[in-house]
Amino acid sequence: MKQFYKRSVYLLFCVFFTLTAFAQTNTAPTIQSKLDGIVLDSLTKQPLPGAVVKIKGTTHSVSADADGKFNFVTGQRFPYILIVSYIGYVQREVIATGSPITIVLKENVGQLNDVVITGYSTQQRKFIAGSITSVSGNAIKDQPVTGFNQALQGKAAGVQVLSNSGVPGGGITLRVRGSNSINASVDPLYIIDGVFVSNADPVQTSLGNQEQSNPLSDLDPADIESIQILKDANATAIYGSLGANGVIIVTTKRGKRNTQAKINFNTYQGWSTAIKKFKVVDGPQTQELVNESKINTAKDGGIDPSTIVLPFANPASAPTYDRISSLFETAPSRNYEVSTQGGGETSTYYIGFGYLNQESIVKPSTYDRYTGRLNYDNYLTSKLKVGTSINFSRSFRNLSGSDNNPQGVINSALFPRSYLPIYNADGTYARYGSFDNQDALIANLNNKAVEWRTIGNFFGEYSFLPELKLRTSWSVDNGSNYENDYTNTLLAAGIATNGSAASYENKNTVLTNEQVLTYIKSFGRNKKHNINALIGNTINTVLSQNTTATGTGFATNSLTAISVAATKSGSSSQSQSKLLSYFAKASYTYNDKYTIDGSLRADGSSKFGVNKRWGYFPSGGVAWRAGEEDFIKKLDIFSDLKFRGSIGLSGNQNGIGAYAAQGLWTSGANYLDQPGTAPSQLANPNLTWETTRQVDFGTEFGILKGRLDFTVDYYNKYTYNLLLNVPVPYRSGFASYLENYGSVTNKGVEVTIHSINIRSNAFQWTTDFNISFNKNRIDKLASDITLGASGRNISILRQGYPINSFYLYKQLSVDPQTGNAVYQDVNNDGKITAADRQIVGNAMSNYTGGFTNTITYKGFDLGAFFYFQHGNKIMNMNDFFMIHGGTQANIGFVPRQLDRWTTPGQITDIPRLTTYSGNPTQNDGAANNYGGNVASLSSRYLEDGSFIRLKTLSLGYNIPTKTLNGIGISKLRLYVQATNLLTFTKYKGLDPEISSQSNNQNTAGYDWATVPQPKTIQVGASVTF
Amino acid sequence: MKRHHIIKTILIFQALLIFASCKKALTEIPNNAIPTQDAIVDASTARAAIIGTYDAVQNYYASNYPTLGTITADNVIFNGTLSQYLQLDQNAIPPDNVITVAAYQGIYKAINSANSVIAYVPQVSDPLLTATEKNKILGEAYFIRALGYFDLGRGWGGVQLQLKPTTDLSALKGIKRSTLDQTYDQVLADLTKAEPLLPEDATTRNRAQQSTVRALRARLDLYRSQWADAENYATQVINNTKYTLVKPYKAFFTAPFLSTESVFELTFTANDKNSFWNLWYPSSLGGQFTLKPSDAIVAKLNNPAIGGTRNTLIAGSGTSVYGVLYNTSATSTDPSYVIRIAELYLIRAEARAQQGNLSGALADLNAVRNRAGVANSAAATQADVLQAIEDENSVEFAFEPHRWFDLVRTGRAGTVLGLTNQNYWLFPIPLSDILSDPDVTQNAGY
Repeated sequence: MKQFYKRSVYLLFCVFFTLTAFAQTNTAPTIQSKLDGIVLDSLTKQPLPGAVVKIKGTTHSVSADADGKFNFVTGQRFPYILIVSYIGYVQREVIATGSPITIVLKENVGQLNDVVITGYSTQQRKFIAGSITSVSGNAIKDQPVTGFNQALQGKAAGVQVLSNSGVPGGGITLRVRGSNSINASVDPLYIIDGVFVSNADPVQTSLGNQEQSNPLSDLDPADIESIQILKDANATAIYGSLGANGVIIVTTKRGKRNTQAKINFNTYQGWSTAIKKFKVVDGPQTQELVNESKINTAKDGGIDPSTIVLPFANPASAPTYDRISSLFETAPSRNYEVSTQGGGETSTYYIGFGYLNQESIVKPSTYDRYTGRLNYDNYLTSKLKVGTSINFSRSFRNLSGSDNNPQGVINSALFPRSYLPIYNADGTYARYGSFDNQDALIANLNNKAVEWRTIGNFFGEYSFLPELKLRTSWSVDNGSNYENDYTNTLLAAGIATNGSAASYENKNTVLTNEQVLTYIKSFGRNKKHNINALIGNTINTVLSQNTTATGTGFATNSLTAISVAATKSGSSSQSQSKLLSYFAKASYTYNDKYTIDGSLRADGSSKFGVNKRWGYFPSGGVAWRAGEEDFIKKLDIFSDLKFRGSIGLSGNQNGIGAYAAQGLWTSGANYLDQPGTAPSQLANPNLTWETTRQVDFGTEFGILKGRLDFTVDYYNKYTYNLLLNVPVPYRSGFASYLENYGSVTNKGVEVTIHSINIRSNAFQWTTDFNISFNKNRIDKLASDITLGASGRNISILRQGYPINSFYLYKQLSVDPQTGNAVYQDVNNDGKITAADRQIVGNAMSNYTGGFTNTITYKGFDLGAFFYFQHGNKIMNMNDFFMIHGGTQANIGFVPRQLDRWTTPGQITDIPRLTTYSGNPTQNDGAANNYGGNVASLSSRYLEDGSFIRLKTLSLGYNIPTKTLNGIGISKLRLYVQATNLLTFTKYKGLDPEISSQSNNQNTAGYDWATVPQPKTIQVGASVTF
Repeated sequence: MKRHHIIKTILIFQALLIFASCKKALTEIPNNAIPTQDAIVDASTARAAIIGTYDAVQNYYASNYPTLGTITADNVIFNGTLSQYLQLDQNAIPPDNVITVAAYQGIYKAINSANSVIAYVPQVSDPLLTATEKNKILGEAYFIRALGYFDLGRGWGGVQLQLKPTTDLSALKGIKRSTLDQTYDQVLADLTKAEPLLPEDATTRNRAQQSTVRALRARLDLYRSQWADAENYATQVINNTKYTLVKPYKAFFTAPFLSTESVFELTFTANDKNSFWNLWYPSSLGGQFTLKPSDAIVAKLNNPAIGGTRNTLIAGSGTSVYGVLYNTSATSTDPSYVIRIAELYLIRAEARAQQGNLSGALADLNAVRNRAGVANSAAATQADVLQAIEDENSVEFAFEPHRWFDLVRTGRAGTVLGLTNQNYWLFPIPLSDILSDPDVTQNAGY
């Protein structure tokens, strides 16, 4: 590997050396004229800073400054023609006859004229045959979330985003057009300013089965200029083996040439509260339920209930201890960002700093983050440009476990019975069953994770000819996560060991080198022929390193360093994988109407078997701008109309081990402190790429003079040769074998509507709507794979059904006569056995979407954004545990347990209380109410998780410029914003936006002692100097 | 100028193509694992492989197998939140119960490691690996394979007999389940091979020795009702002065362990932990309290006439009495107790009683009782003596995996536990095997 980089460095050196030699041949021009000018918006007469003004027939161009002003000192004589362009505005040619000059540009309504960043190049949207969604940085700013990816929820069709919990900086689930894979990764590829970034959760501290962090929180969303989401094969195939799950390209803000320095300051303060809090049954009722269960159990066992001793003699006098209130808090958050951007004749810069601090509504999780960014470009000569984008960040997390960890904070507050005191008589923390004490946890949890992240890129770009450019780019994403955990003797986990400590250092490094040669040229009469072609290569190395030290036995709780522990141990591991790629892409447009394009990528991966290391990923697409045809123009309906279609292959290799194809014996299988080895993995020399074939048909059109824009896409993704851990008979000594087997289909439709309802000088109202339908199906699978919920296997992967299906006993009713649960006897054998478990729902939504209204009136702006999802189910594990009929000796009840059957004729879905275990196969028998074969794996705990929620509601006011002029401020906006203000759902748990078992992509849709989404009110200000 | 560009472009692309020639560049090798073909090639890898085989036995004996043999019977009850333990306690075990699955899988892992040692170690020619050591390693592998199949047989019935290491999945085809007799025959064959290959010294208790083989042989014969053989092999072990019934009773489960009581125990260390105690201890002491002594066994242990000094197996009071057989909560170094000399006395007692030698049986039974400070048994008839032995087993091995297997072996699980459906006397074959293995059949009733 070293060799590679050496060679690349040498190559780069050679290139630059020759280029600089050329650069020095420029000669100073003679001055013939001076021109001052200003570029303004035609409607609002606001200046357009950054507009590019070019003298036609020359390479001389300048950009307008912050006030829209520009000037030329040129060798040209008046009159000459200026070409004036600005993103989002119609380009104009203006004849300059003298100085000064005022140029007005008309805004280009209609999205087709945007410039879009595509794989390795930039293209005008009107020529693109692929399906790409753009989201501007503005659309995601000021959200009280930590990661930009979280803020994409409901903003982009085809992108499904769900926060797994309400923990700040916690994990999220993001899918582009559904889940493609079972064992390989389903996360898209994230590229930030050309850097392939790692989205692997670096947090090692194990505190339940939840993804602890969102690694993309390390980027301050305020630094983002725009986000492009590449969805179809035509757009993603150029990323070959990394592209199957979609590609999200983030471009951060850069300065513009010849613009005055501008300083921005943003801040907000927010307060978050729980939308709903947990409810449990009080002490007297809990004791009554336990007594009732005991009596019923006796009856079921044929014992006279009058002969038994009840556990509680006098339930009415039982006390109630509230553990829930102390769990929640009003969580403050604050955010500060300061940035400056600008540029001179030869260089541009953007410098930003940010600080964010958020607390969780459930104590004691916190998150805080410092970010710094420098984007700098320098035009060494008119042909050679070098630049850099560097992001530094430090994020701090105080971690707190939940979900399946019985000694997590929520579990310890929610599950213990309410009549049990929180403190012992001597004032010490009281603990029951497997649970810890929540007050002890809140006061003593000490799991601190500090992540330092550097995402940096250096590039050089040389234009041999105006149409031929070579770009070389060197990138690094270096994440270093350092965790120090100390469990003291006041916590259950630290009692036995006299305190225990763990320290983790986890490094994730992604190195990418890339060369791209681009050729963009228009030629022929009227420039009818338009070519956009590129060829390039990348070398990508992913290195992951881990060191762990643990210690137990501390003299006192104030000593927390592992060095002073009585017993110490440590370990380390590392893995490295490499990817070599070559790619080419070409696009040809005729007469601005017909586009055909194609791409090909070849990828070689070190992860795969020696026989099948290389994969080839072609794609092709066509686009037809029917709106440019005369017969469409004559209709006078469409302001724009485009059809496109594409097909292609992309691959996936992420999410499998670096050495997954090799036959291995693992070391560390030690005994008697002697080193041991044992077979750990079977070789698969034929292991190769998981491939996704995607077909996409789309249309983009505008009507009503561009006031109403539509984008509609249909796609069909077929992923085959899945990288699947195929279960093998255990008698082999192995549990599974990684091979290319199985297939998954995702089909869907996406609709995006952008409407300018009212557009006048003073009053503007726009509406954005998007909806995405996705249907997922496993077409082929070796055998059922069941998993999830700590060995309860509630999730299943089964051929013919979608990923993330729930596998339970379907409860038909509670027999009104006996009070026992009746389940569907699937095989009609009159018994309830494992064969009667079936798929009763799915955690995936049928559709998701967003609905945004933005109104501006004079200085005021009002925004309302709704997010919705429909058709997903949630397994309510809190109910699963807390509606136990008496079978769980250490767990209390939720109020729904009070609906249990008590009297003949009663209609309810909660069966009669009993712990009787005789005859576990009997349907409508006492054993299967809460135990037996069913063991509470009943569909009665599975609920509809559909919801629609007012995600954000904001009101802002721009202080008039006149008022501000005197105090040196050019812009000042004040706003108030509410997040998650209203939620409409049938889900009876705390919040439907949840996924407690998110560490595994195949166990979605659980609600299990997890921090719910908060409701947040924030006030903020944004100032420009 | 133009020509320069062309030359430069060509140069650059030539340079780029250099990368393509680097085929080696795509070869990455881990630093914590070895390729299968290099796994057993010399003395040090052969030693590492047999150590790894013991490690695999440790893995299934640390908590899974002992849990299967205890919570399923009447001494230990479920007191936690995890339904896999509730299922075992209620003897309503679905085929995907994670404890049974993990134990089954773990046993076959140990068998696969043993198979590898048996297949490859004889081929190693390394002057550092003497014939004696080679034999020892092979003998240990045969013993571990015997133990593995024995533990499978008594839990799941006759199983599929894998006798070769798995390097290729196609080699698995066509191997059907054997009968329980065939499985036990395989155990016998391996024990017979192991015995002459192994050494015997005066101190080793955590690796297989000749006496360890004889002890397992005695147990096998007991399970197969071959009383004379059982008595014979038990006697061979009992007569070995390396073993004594230690006093007080608790000495064998008190650090530093490896007491003379122990015939075979699996040692855990600070770097190789066993936190089984965590399932037994209440949360106020840092545990999960999933496994709890039943009221009945607590009463027996606390009764001086039954439990005697074996009351040291429990601690705490009232509703939070907990088991302390596994008690190294600070260090997690409790061994797994596989065979104790007390078991050999009770095996011989039962074998003698079955052969009508009641006085001999009572002598052995009383040796175990007296050690715990309990008076001689008053049993007089053969039936009474056998009942007394069954009861003694229950108390002597209160939290070790004996009670369930004894009740199933003697056909008394129905009477004693109320589990009249004999199908449930065997654990289910794991669901994923039923789904992925065309050669396996599920046990009846699941």
